[in-house]
Amino acid sequence: MGRKILLIEDDRETASYLTKGLNQEGHSVEQAANGQDGLFRATDGSFDLIILDRMLPVLDGLSVLKALRAAHIGTPVLILSALASVGDRIEGLECGSDDYLVKPFSFAELLARVNALLRRREARVDPAEHRLNVGDLEIEPLSRIVKRAGRKLDLKPREYLLLEYFARNEGRVVTRTMLLEQVWDYHFDPGTNVIDVHVSRLRRKLDEGFEKPLLHTVRGAGYMLAA
Amino acid sequence: MPTTIRIALLAGLLGLLSNLAVIGFIYFRTHDEAAATVHQQVVEQGKVLDDVYRSGGGRALDDAIEDTMTYADPQTAIALLTTNGTEIAGNLEGAAAIHRQQGYQNAVIRLRGQTTPREAALVVHRLPTGQWLISGRIAGEGFAIRETLERSLLISIVVAGLLGLFCGLILAHYVGGRINSIALVANRISARDLSQRVPVSRAGDAFDRLAGQINAMLDRISALMEELRLLTDSLAHDLRSPVSRLRSAAHAAAEASDPAEQEELLGRVIRQADALMRILTAVLEISRSEAQTGRKQFNWFDVGELAGELAEMYDPLAEERGANLELDRPARPVPLFGHRQLLAQAISNLVENAIRYGFSGGEIQVRVHPGDRQIRVEVGDRGPGIPVERRDEALRRFGRLDASRSDEGAGLGLALAEAIAHLHQGELMLADNGPGLLTILKLPIHSRQAHAA
Repeated sequence: MGRKILLIEDDRETASYLTKGLNQEGHSVEQAANGQDGLFRATDGSFDLIILDRMLPVLDGLSVLKALRAAHIGTPVLILSALASVGDRIEGLECGSDDYLVKPFSFAELLARVNALLRRREARVDPAEHRLNVGDLEIEPLSRIVKRAGRKLDLKPREYLLLEYFARNEGRVVTRTMLLEQVWDYHFDPGTNVIDVHVSRLRRKLDEGFEKPLLHTVRGAGYMLAA
Repeated sequence: MPTTIRIALLAGLLGLLSNLAVIGFIYFRTHDEAAATVHQQVVEQGKVLDDVYRSGGGRALDDAIEDTMTYADPQTAIALLTTNGTEIAGNLEGAAAIHRQQGYQNAVIRLRGQTTPREAALVVHRLPTGQWLISGRIAGEGFAIRETLERSLLISIVVAGLLGLFCGLILAHYVGGRINSIALVANRISARDLSQRVPVSRAGDAFDRLAGQINAMLDRISALMEELRLLTDSLAHDLRSPVSRLRSAAHAAAEASDPAEQEELLGRVIRQADALMRILTAVLEISRSEAQTGRKQFNWFDVGELAGELAEMYDPLAEERGANLELDRPARPVPLFGHRQLLAQAISNLVENAIRYGFSGGEIQVRVHPGDRQIRVEVGDRGPGIPVERRDEALRRFGRLDASRSDEGAGLGLALAEAIAHLHQGELMLADNGPGLLTILKLPIHSRQAHAA
């Protein structure tokens, strides 16, 4: 199911690469090459997602974002930027963006984040306490009780949060940095495979003894929870 | 007009003025004293003659006048005049011209036998017979001093002026010389020789303080330059191997015929590129923190909680590498005004370091010590540690102690943790964990932290 995405990016090469990729995923992409034009198009609020470059001619990305939020336009915004420091990322998020991706990025990473944001928008209709089901896995967000095939799983608090995040992005790729940012709320890049260790622990509790695994590794991208 | 000459002239003028003041003081004092002495002598002499007249009458007075002229000192003036001023006796030339009024007066007179009229102090007394008795003395001695003084005053003005000018020239030469030596050094530095230092004398004066400060500034600048040079050198050097690995992986991928092999090689290309990016991001983060940017993102948070969260995050990884991660933090919150995200990165770098080099099977301690003035976050391992003499090197950017390490971390972890400590006005210390390495993040607590934001 295709979505309308507004891409505000002045670099022609990046823009055409992204447009092509997103089109292949079935999304329709409209492009604006400067901040002012981007803001103008974004204000009609008909987009499902805005991908916003930070350094733009005429009006910079953060100003566009602030203007949008000041006009109460809540369209999810994913910032793309070459400004890579932790401070830059936090600044971007504090200005009201929903996600921040540092250039250079892999398309898989971008796509995973785009899908997560689109999914989150959909999920807004669902109450948070709604039960989550993935195959024979059941998650009760209020009581934090997790059952697989009727058997209760004993998860540590962080493992639960990890699983809930996976479940909310069922069938979508979730990258390691997304996990670090969303489950741990850290915005730095760890030099070790610390996230993988957590995921493999969760996988052991989740899939061991079951014929059909739920938590899959997606090569070159990350992980996916799917029945 | 050059400053040197101005200083010389000023010094000359000051010398002159101070000489004038001293000599003027002596001049007036001496003059006053001389005048007072003469006055007293003259009055007493007058009184004696008066007494002589009272006791002995006219005859005795005549004898006394005669005696005075014969025996008294040659500066003594004496005269007896008739009512209308004609001289009867005495040694005063033109005594008639003296103003005949009873009492003390100063007048210019000429003694008989002397060629020049001189100033004198006189007492005029009218005898009961109507005759005038004038007595007194030439104020010669006092006035002689005065003349000498006037002469020496003139000489001393000239000498003082010249001397002052001379002192001024020496002073100006000295000041100019010292400033010139500073200027010379500054000049050489502009010409790119940063190793030059301003000479410091042992005097401890303002010039030495200036020189000391300039030297301290130069030390700081050259340290920064050196750091920058090292950084550029190591960037150029250390990026070389990941870039060449990247290049060879890309080359191999291009050559590979088997699709599976090609995919594997391309994956390696991407990993190498990511590692490069990580190095660049870390270098950027270090410069940012050292430049103290990011303080506006400071907030209050609980350091104990953060350390707990990170310990929990790294516990599985440590366990996988055969180490046991122990957390020791106070039960109560440890509030700090700082950058939570960057501190999380600093602590995680220390923990990752401990896991990497702490040798498997050991233990890793994460401790939070709150204090009155500073919070200490310690991470200890049981690895080989770092010898004292190599600790500075370990903190340096890219300072890898083990050359064989081809790790992605590229040895930036400790440097970044230190930079983040500096952002919080704190420091990172490396110590002996007996055995192992103990890294200590010292974060000062400022009473007015909230206002520093």
